[in-house]
Amino acid sequence: MNGEEMIPVTAAFTRFCEVSQVPPNGKKAAKINGVWVLVCHSKDRYFAVSNICSHQVKPLINGRVRNCAITCPVHGAKFNLETGEALNLPATKPIDTYELRIVDDWIEVKV
Amino acid sequence: MSEQVLDQQIAHGEARCPDEPTTQDIIASDKVGAPDWVRSESYEYLGSEDISTERYYDPEYAKKEYDTLWKRTWQFACREEHIPEPGDYYVYDLGRYSFIITRVSENDIRAYYNACLHRGTKLRASGTEGCTQEFKCSFHGWSWNLDGSLKQSTCEWDFPHVQADKFSLPQTRVETLAGFVFINMDQNAPSLEDYLGPEFMAHINSWGLENRYIQCHVSKLIPANWKLTMEAFMEAYHVIDTHPQVAVSNGDANSQYDVYGDHVNRFISPLGVLSPHLKGQYSEQDILDQFTVGDASVLGDIDRTLAEGESARQRMADTMRAMFEQATNTDLSRVSDSELLDCFSYTLFPNTFVFPGISLPMVYRFRPDPKDHRMTIYEVFFLRPVPKDGERPDPAEPVYLDEVQSFTEAEGMDPGFGAILDQDTENLILQQQGIEASAKPGLTLGNYQEIRVRHFEMTVDKYVSGQSVSGQ
Repeated sequence: MNGEEMIPVTAAFTRFCEVSQVPPNGKKAAKINGVWVLVCHSKDRYFAVSNICSHQVKPLINGRVRNCAITCPVHGAKFNLETGEALNLPATKPIDTYELRIVDDWIEVKV
Repeated sequence: MSEQVLDQQIAHGEARCPDEPTTQDIIASDKVGAPDWVRSESYEYLGSEDISTERYYDPEYAKKEYDTLWKRTWQFACREEHIPEPGDYYVYDLGRYSFIITRVSENDIRAYYNACLHRGTKLRASGTEGCTQEFKCSFHGWSWNLDGSLKQSTCEWDFPHVQADKFSLPQTRVETLAGFVFINMDQNAPSLEDYLGPEFMAHINSWGLENRYIQCHVSKLIPANWKLTMEAFMEAYHVIDTHPQVAVSNGDANSQYDVYGDHVNRFISPLGVLSPHLKGQYSEQDILDQFTVGDASVLGDIDRTLAEGESARQRMADTMRAMFEQATNTDLSRVSDSELLDCFSYTLFPNTFVFPGISLPMVYRFRPDPKDHRMTIYEVFFLRPVPKDGERPDPAEPVYLDEVQSFTEAEGMDPGFGAILDQDTENLILQQQGIEASAKPGLTLGNYQEIRVRHFEMTVDKYVSGQSVSGQ
């Protein structure tokens, strides 16, 4: 490695935004190749998940992030940001999660 | 049996643990003196009759409780920290009832019955919390504003009989106290202040519990009636047999018991002193060696060698002040030895315990399982001081345990304290079963050490039978 970080093939990852655009407990949504992706910060970690609630296909961007979970503002479904698991009704299905990495102060996501 | 107990001149309720210092004697010897709320007594003898036991298993009795007691009492629904911003909400359930507690604006918290006024669907699932700008039904999309007014009914043209001004979400009463949000379904209920009474209000107003945050929240199903479950925590009388591992450093038989009006009672159980049951069997050094607290991890590797003439209690008070200041990043220099060490347990009728001490900073909440009145949803919250130079942490997410899981499995729970709660739970399983199997239709209570149980059940009786209660 010679002290240098090995960066994987970048083709699979897409630059999402600069790290500074997702402050602590913040979030940002954008499309990658037509897929709505939501990047959240919680408990000193970044997460990338689908921005679309699995319950009634509403955007999650205005939901509350707390303790590594996001709550849909429309009907209250809650999802684990790490696994995508639906944590309470009315959702019963998970949301997609995506690999995320930080490269040169940029958040990159693999969709 | 002691001569004191046999002395016919002592009226019922006046006997105390013979030849032992009282809780007040112990506290009076502390280096850093205690405030008035600690240094007062308010015991009242309330009779010696048995407590009838059908209340613990009869489904008709449980139904009466829902129709009377639960609909007329102030209940701890959530903490303000659960809903810090406008639009934040928290769903509180009690039996079949469900409420959305929401912050409408900075100083306006409301509680709505959690049901769509169209065809009844819950607007938010039970046990959930979040943030929203409207409460929208997932079935047909009717929605309500944060202030409870009807925002939109889908296909309004089909509902000419629905008048928006009559379709606001029904509300309960809401009051806040010390960071707690209380609700009451009874629109004619006394104020929370009158309900709790002036003595307790003076106590809680000196504690600063609004400056605490939920560091740990565990919810567990207990296979016993909610009242029986609460009563397991109302006395220190059981410590010597149920929790022998802590009896060496707990003044159990000389704990103090007090009642205030109909809705509040308490005990003060001094720690760092030998149980009267073990008198002469252990030295001060033994007491110090075996001393544990609610969160033993805070103590770390401390010096446990006493100097000649030094008491275990004083050493523990001095040590804990330093250790808790460091661990919680708070200033405890003005906090008394008693507040640091001792177990203060208050019951706020009907279903909340508050422990305002530093080493044991819990809140308990007990609710009947809506599917079985012989099961209880028992919650333990640890309320730690907000760091003096940091931001308020988010309240901990609840950890849910089923009835066969140990409290020690819950993340954030101190293993030693979890083991104590497991011992209480194990008793409750047998007690519920035994009461239902018994040929004896009543529980027999000690006049002093079990006064909280009697006081609590007398208030239950008052609500269920429709009698007046204090504060009204």
